[in-house]
Amino acid sequence: MSKEISRRTFIKGGVAVGAALAAGTYFKWEGKNIPLDVREGNVTYDVLIIGSGGAGMRAALEASKEKGLRVAVMTKMVPTRSASTMAQGGMNGCTGVTDAEDTIESHVFDTVKGADYLCDQDAVEYFAEMAGKTIYEMDYMGYPYNRQEDGSFHQRKMGGSSHARAAYYEDSSGHAMVHALFEQCLANNVEFISECQLLEIVAKEGKFSGVVAIDMRSGNLISIPAKSIIVATGGYGRAYWIRTTNPYSSTGDGIAAAMRIGIPFKDPEMVQFHPTGLASNGVLLSESSRSEGAYLLNKNNERFMQRYAPKQMELATRDIVARAIETEINEGRGIGEGLHAAVYLDFRHIPKKILLERLGQVYDLSKRFEGVDIAKQPVPIRCSCHYSMGGLEVSDYKTTATRIPGVFAAGECSCISIHGANRLGANSLSEVLVFGRTAGIGAADYAKKNPSYQGNKDDLAESRTKWLEKFAETTQRTSGPSVTEIRDKMAETMWYKAGVYRDEKQLQEAAGEIDKLMAQYQNCVVGDASHTYNTAFMNYIEVGNLLEISKAIIIGATARKESRGGHSRKDYPKRDDKNFLKHTLVFKDGNTYKTEYQDVVITKYPPQERKY
Amino acid sequence: MKYAFFPGCVLKGAAAEAYTSMMKVSEVLGIELVEIPNWTCCGASHAQGVDDLAALTVNARNISIAEHMGLPIMTVCNTCTLQLRQAKARLDEDAALRGKVNEILKKAGHPYEYQGTSEITHFLWILDDHPEVFNGKIKQKLTGLKVASFYGCHLLRPPKVMNHEDGRNPRSMEKLLQILGAEPVDFSYRLKCCGFHAFFTAEHDVLKVTGEIVDAAAEAGAKIIVTPCPLCQMQLDMYEEEGRKATLSQAELPVLHLQQLIGFALGFTNKDMGIERHVSGQYKVNF
Amino acid sequence: MMITLQIHRFVDDKKWIQEYKLETQKGMTILEGFNEIKAKQDATLSFTSSCRSSICGACAVRVNGNAELACEILLEDLVKRYKTDTLTVQPLGNFRVIRDLIVDWIPKYEKMKKIDPVVRPKAEFTPAKGCKQSIEDFAKYKKYAGCILCGSCVSECNKSALDEKDFLDPFIFVKAAKITEDSRDRSPEDHLRAVVQAGLWKCFNCQECTAKCPKDLDPAGAIEKLKAASIALTGDGSVGANHAKAIYNDIYTKGMLDESKLAVQSEGMLSAAMRVPVAYRLMKTGKLNMFEKIPENKDIHEIRQIIDIAEKENK
Repeated sequence: MSKEISRRTFIKGGVAVGAALAAGTYFKWEGKNIPLDVREGNVTYDVLIIGSGGAGMRAALEASKEKGLRVAVMTKMVPTRSASTMAQGGMNGCTGVTDAEDTIESHVFDTVKGADYLCDQDAVEYFAEMAGKTIYEMDYMGYPYNRQEDGSFHQRKMGGSSHARAAYYEDSSGHAMVHALFEQCLANNVEFISECQLLEIVAKEGKFSGVVAIDMRSGNLISIPAKSIIVATGGYGRAYWIRTTNPYSSTGDGIAAAMRIGIPFKDPEMVQFHPTGLASNGVLLSESSRSEGAYLLNKNNERFMQRYAPKQMELATRDIVARAIETEINEGRGIGEGLHAAVYLDFRHIPKKILLERLGQVYDLSKRFEGVDIAKQPVPIRCSCHYSMGGLEVSDYKTTATRIPGVFAAGECSCISIHGANRLGANSLSEVLVFGRTAGIGAADYAKKNPSYQGNKDDLAESRTKWLEKFAETTQRTSGPSVTEIRDKMAETMWYKAGVYRDEKQLQEAAGEIDKLMAQYQNCVVGDASHTYNTAFMNYIEVGNLLEISKAIIIGATARKESRGGHSRKDYPKRDDKNFLKHTLVFKDGNTYKTEYQDVVITKYPPQERKY
Repeated sequence: MKYAFFPGCVLKGAAAEAYTSMMKVSEVLGIELVEIPNWTCCGASHAQGVDDLAALTVNARNISIAEHMGLPIMTVCNTCTLQLRQAKARLDEDAALRGKVNEILKKAGHPYEYQGTSEITHFLWILDDHPEVFNGKIKQKLTGLKVASFYGCHLLRPPKVMNHEDGRNPRSMEKLLQILGAEPVDFSYRLKCCGFHAFFTAEHDVLKVTGEIVDAAAEAGAKIIVTPCPLCQMQLDMYEEEGRKATLSQAELPVLHLQQLIGFALGFTNKDMGIERHVSGQYKVNF
Repeated sequence: MMITLQIHRFVDDKKWIQEYKLETQKGMTILEGFNEIKAKQDATLSFTSSCRSSICGACAVRVNGNAELACEILLEDLVKRYKTDTLTVQPLGNFRVIRDLIVDWIPKYEKMKKIDPVVRPKAEFTPAKGCKQSIEDFAKYKKYAGCILCGSCVSECNKSALDEKDFLDPFIFVKAAKITEDSRDRSPEDHLRAVVQAGLWKCFNCQECTAKCPKDLDPAGAIEKLKAASIALTGDGSVGANHAKAIYNDIYTKGMLDESKLAVQSEGMLSAAMRVPVAYRLMKTGKLNMFEKIPENKDIHEIRQIIDIAEKENK
């Protein structure tokens, strides 16, 4: 039973604290965002999924097929708010319905080349084999695909793809996926634990026990024992804060938490800068803009991609286009100055009917945030951190297991690696669906094979106590730097010193600056002492996670002394297969970081020069 | 100023006083109204929920007759205005749909095509655009009369179709009241729904909101409620008693059609404006 | 431009209105305003947001009584519309409030389950081979797939404000319309019956939902589609359907509404008989004339032809 005690009272009353903690809860529960038996501490999940985006919900649907397994999705928001909704272009998969010449082989090669040869080719082969099947499966699940004459879903060509293989819904393909999956979750009564911020994945000495989270609504700390967990918390673009296409929620929470239990962060330096984010606020203008024919122009009205990728032009891979744009700006051919410099994306030659039909969102975003009617004027754009190729190391792509038994990872937060050093447009939606499903099966199988709970509930209780104290301490602080100050300084450091172009000196400076910010973070002010839906505390946790991730990005970028895909070193401008055809693995042990390397798995395609 | 007049069903039935007062008022204001011959019911938003194409074509017919008269259409009922304007918007935007509808009109033996040459506008909008019609005509300024304007949903929304003014902050009624010398009173239900169209399916709720609207207007100090829609007028007037019961309110206010209030300012009497047909608060109207 | 935001706050059991002054720039959204306030003035101001580009639906709030997607609406446009530099901000209407501008979505998902919110594919389709659908059929429902579950449509819903227990939020009707208009679904009738059961015909037709939808989905139009489909496919015999059919049939028979018969045609003799006291009151003032004969429209044959031909078009 829960009792109502004000936090100050309970902090001061030692015995009362013990009693309250033993009881497990001390603030009044608010509504039904958490199942009753979770509140009461009466359930051990077979599969607990963290993150309700594409990968998370797909995993839940799959794991839920096993009757007799207790499965739930935990999310810090409510379902359907994830970054998955922002994907616009489509999902790649070889089916041949639009382009009969397409082959799985071709999808594999395009992905490998797109990844600048840093992806693990055995996993990519598995991925490409499953991707086409996934499209049919989603059709059956009610995904609203745009159609072609013969009634099949229509597929279009995205950047870096040699064939038209991206099935889509208008220019909101990710949004449609999220809602199709959510409909299925509702129809199948998938359990959701909503508005719960993950604080810790508890796995002492490699023994996974469960998670500790804070119920945002009541402020109660909850610990949830689980036999397996699938981390599906998405990417970490907010390390660059304003200069990202990612939503406010993309703070790498699961990656940070999993690093703390010994899972390495693989290829953290591999961050994709999407070429076309709106100049004013970083919001994404879909790559389908370019696949529908838009031109990139510099201030001299020149289609400058001619000089960087003469064959594919605007449809070269994102890293190539992003670097081209940055170079144009750096060499003075951009419009505007400094942080507001940009180049133009020109749609004027495309019939307005096509713009409204296929690029409705792009049209709308340009009008609203830049005040530009793209049928009449070009719109100013610049790079934004868009996708995290790096992520939690997945040890077995056939199950998405990590090196900690019981812990799985899928979606953008994972690094299998499918995308290597650069992701192709429309490969992400396919990835989250393919590996979401794989994770659901993998975790469910693991739970079935290990039917009795192997974790330690005392470890969970200990962790919960620690977080209880942390919450009280941090929310009561009244003097110190603010969370947003630290966040904004981190973003500046990351954008200017660990952004599109990097070098040794700047990376070293960045490392020092992040260390300083981490020290400041220990004394920062949350600014809200309430236990009820304390979003300031949530932001505090998120910034803490981003600092750890930023540190890892810098470590990875420093270690990789070459340029490959999205990682560009001014001091090492060439790709160095001899020394760096390998993955960076950044480990966190307490407060120390350690870097290891892992060979890239090559099956069919030894590295070649990457030209488009 | 000359218009093809679309009175709508209730002006010929339960809201006959709205019709007679409109005729008197339009004559004084110099607005010539020629009733559209053989007009049909606009569908009242209900026929549209039975067969959309049939209802659309029926309204295409209505509009085409006015087009043939070479006149813009004036309406005095919010729902008629919305149905006709929505029909026009859809037919004007979609050439294929327009072709289909004209085919049906032709097959049915209707002599005219829908061409899109007649605008459809409500009496209130005409006055808002042409306040000069009142010049020299106001015989009795409604000084000191506190009036609450109940706009009625279908004149305000949806914004793409009902775009005379911003439906979130309309001011046409208040401006008009000031011309008449009355004192507009703001109240929290000014832009809400009277529930007329859901009377049979959500009666309990509708009677509750009927009471709430009248009560809110009275609370805000209004002595009269005025509305440009005869359906709202019917709902609030005919069921004011049930509304009081549902909300335990004591408020009793007369609910006037827009043209009646204007008529009083032009010098007409209760009898002229058909007040004896009202159900509630009759005795509070003294002109 | 300096503006004032009066934000309705609610933390634990305390309710109050807090005033914030904000220096705005051109092109600043109200969400950016909230972020600015939270970062620089008051870290306790709480609201939900994620994508800041009008696709995740997390940030809808009420400004001066009207729902807005906070990441989309510009402060300068609000100032222009309401002709004031002081704006009142509240959480969305017709939701339970948890704290400040944060509302409870969980009960809405439970409601959504009432309509079986998923496509049940026809027998000829399989997960392995997917489905087939013509371009025309896709066009019939594609708009409704754009719903971002932002809740703006229900915020000022006049019916929900009076009683939401026997009704559905407009976004649920949009979901239902999406499914029933989707040719891949094997039994729109089932979804339609569920929607009627959940209160479809209680809609006031007030158009607030359509007016507020930031994605232009026209939920009120979706509701009309559901009504017509319900009548066509399930022989809907509810009061609402009968009322609509009565008006429709009046147009066919006379060209105009026959008010005296409306109650009986909608509700049946027994229920209509309960209305005698009101009817009497109306007859006293002359509002209702039970014996009035509505004349037939002179062009009634043409009108009937129109309806007959249009109906055949749909088959």
